[in-house]
Amino acid sequence: MGISNLVDADHGLISRSIFVDPQIYEQEGRMVFARCWMYLCHESQIPRPGDFCTAYIGEDPVIVWRDTQGNIRAFLNICSHRGNRLCRADSGNAAALTCAYHGWTYGNDGKLKGVPYQQSAYRGEFDREQWPLPAVAQLESYKGLVFATFDPSAPPLREYLGEMTWYLDAFFDRRDGGVEVFPGVHKWVIPCNWKVAAENFCGDNYHGPWAHRSAMSTGFSARRPRPNDVGRFHLSPGNGHCVMGRQPDDTSDSPEVIAYEQDVRSEVRERLGPRIDLVRPAVGTVFPNFACVRGTANSIRVWHPRGPERTEIWSWIFVDKLAPPSVKETIRLAGLRSFGPAGTFEQDDIDNWQECTQTARGVVSRTQVLNMQMGLGQERFDQGLGAWTSEFCVSESNHRHFYRRWAKMMETTDWSELSIGAPR
Amino acid sequence: MKREIVHDIEQFLYREARLLDECKFQEWLNLLTDDIRYWMPVMGRRYRAFSKGITILDSDRYEEREFSNEGELAILDETKDSLARRISRLDTGMAWAEDPPSRTCHIISNVEVREGDSESEMIVYSNFILYRTRGELEQDIYVGSRQDILRYTGGDWKISYRKIILPQNVLSQKNISNFF
Repeated sequence: MGISNLVDADHGLISRSIFVDPQIYEQEGRMVFARCWMYLCHESQIPRPGDFCTAYIGEDPVIVWRDTQGNIRAFLNICSHRGNRLCRADSGNAAALTCAYHGWTYGNDGKLKGVPYQQSAYRGEFDREQWPLPAVAQLESYKGLVFATFDPSAPPLREYLGEMTWYLDAFFDRRDGGVEVFPGVHKWVIPCNWKVAAENFCGDNYHGPWAHRSAMSTGFSARRPRPNDVGRFHLSPGNGHCVMGRQPDDTSDSPEVIAYEQDVRSEVRERLGPRIDLVRPAVGTVFPNFACVRGTANSIRVWHPRGPERTEIWSWIFVDKLAPPSVKETIRLAGLRSFGPAGTFEQDDIDNWQECTQTARGVVSRTQVLNMQMGLGQERFDQGLGAWTSEFCVSESNHRHFYRRWAKMMETTDWSELSIGAPR
Repeated sequence: MKREIVHDIEQFLYREARLLDECKFQEWLNLLTDDIRYWMPVMGRRYRAFSKGITILDSDRYEEREFSNEGELAILDETKDSLARRISRLDTGMAWAEDPPSRTCHIISNVEVREGDSESEMIVYSNFILYRTRGELEQDIYVGSRQDILRYTGGDWKISYRKIILPQNVLSQKNISNFF
C-alpha cells in the first residue's frame, strides 16, 4: 500500500488510517518488525549458561537462550515439526526443552537433539541437523541490551543505532557494570495502536503538564514545573530514534536519588564525556518499539503489536548496578507507582491512547488528517548533540522524525536507501 | 476461634468492599493501619522442576516460584501514604483514567480466619471478584485472592497487611486503577 499519501512528515500531516487499517498493520509486520533490530531482553535477566526468557519480535514468539558455553542465542519459540510453541514459561534455566506435542527435544544451541521413534518410524532417513529451532538472522548486545533482527541484510546493530548509542549510554552505561533489571516484568494489553504509544515516548513533552498533572501534583513525580520552561530538548539522532532531554540540572528524582546523583556525577561525566553537561536524556526510543525512561520511573519497555488496535506492553524497572540498596529500593517503588498497570502516569496515558485509536474506526474519521506541525521549520541540526533538535519545551519534531522513518521503512526494501548512519 | 469474631471480620470485609464500590475512599483509608503494607506481586510462568518439558542445566539455582518476591517488581507495593496520594489524585479533577469514574462491584468470599501472631491480630484469607465497567462498553473482571492481617485497635478491626494475588500472566485489563 502506498504510504506517501498517508504520511507527510515534512508538513506534519498524518492520516489516522495508519492506526487502524488492517492492511497497513500487515505491511508493518513485514516491512518494520521483521526487519528492524528489535529489543529482546536485558542480559541481567539471563546471566548464567542455560538461562532463558521468552520474548516477541512483533507477533513472532521468540526464546532468548544462553547456551552452555555462555553465548546468547535467539530462536523462534516454535517446534519445527508442527509449529507448536516450544517453551511455555516466561523464564528459567535449561540444557534442553522438549515440545509438549510429540516430544521433539532441542538443546540450548537450538539443535534438534531428540525425535521419538526416529530410527523406527523414519527408517533412519531423518536428518535432525536439518530441523533445528529457526534462529534469528542476527543478534547483538549493546551495553547489556539484547537486540535481534530477522533480516540478514540489516546493517550491524551499532550502525543501526548510530548516534543513539551515546544516548543509550546515558541511560545504561553511566557507571561501571551498567544497569540491572529487577526480577519480574509488567505485561499487559492495552486497547491502542502501538504507534500511538511509541510516538508519545518519542517526543510528547506537550502532554505532560496537562495529562499528568494529577500524578505530578500528588507526589508521584518529584519534578516541579519551572516558571520559564524553555530548556528542554527534542532530539532526533537519526534512523527514527528519538530522545527527550532536559537541562542537566532539571530532575524529577526524589531527594535521595538526587543525593546519589551528586555522589556519582564525576564518574558519570568521565564515562559519558562533556555532552552530558549539555543535556540530561530523560526518555528515549530505539525505532520502532523500544523505549526507556529515567527520572520519574526507570523503565525499559517494548510496545508489542497485537493487531491494529491492541498493544501488549512489557515493562521492566532498571537501576545502576552499583547503586546502593536504599537507592535501588526508592527507584523500584517510584517506578511501579508511576509506570506499569497501576502506574499513576501510565493509566492516564493509556486512556488517551485508547480513545485516539478507537475513534479512528469510523470510515469518515479514519480519513481525518492529524496535525503534527508544532515547531515545524524551527528544528536545526546541533553538532554538539549529534541530533536534530528543537529547543522549545514542547515540539512535535520527534513525531515527524519517527513517522518519516516509519513511512520510509514501509516502502523501502533496500537498506542502502535507508540512510543508515548520518542523521538526516 | 469464636464465631462472633469470624462474623465481625466478615462484616468488616463486606463493609470495606461497599465503601470501595461507593467511592468512599477516605472512609476506606480509615480502615487501614498507619503502617499498612498493601502489595500485589507480579506473576511469571515457570516450569515445575520435575517437568518433562525441561532439562534443567543449573538445578541448584532453579526456582519454581510464580510470583515476585519482596524487593522485586510488583504491580502494587503501597504504604498508607502512597494509597492516600492515589486517592487524593482522584480528587484533582485531572485523573483521566478515573474520570468519568469506573463503576465497580466487589464480591468477597471464601473468608477464612486464623489466629495471628498476637491476640489482637488475625490472619484472614479471602477471595475476590472485582467487576468494573467504564466508558461505553468496557467490562473488566479481576479474580484473585487476598491474604490480610487484621489488627484490633481503637475498638475496631483495621487492615495492617494485604497481599493481593491476581493470577494473570499477561493482564488483559488496560490498567489497575481500582482498589482490591
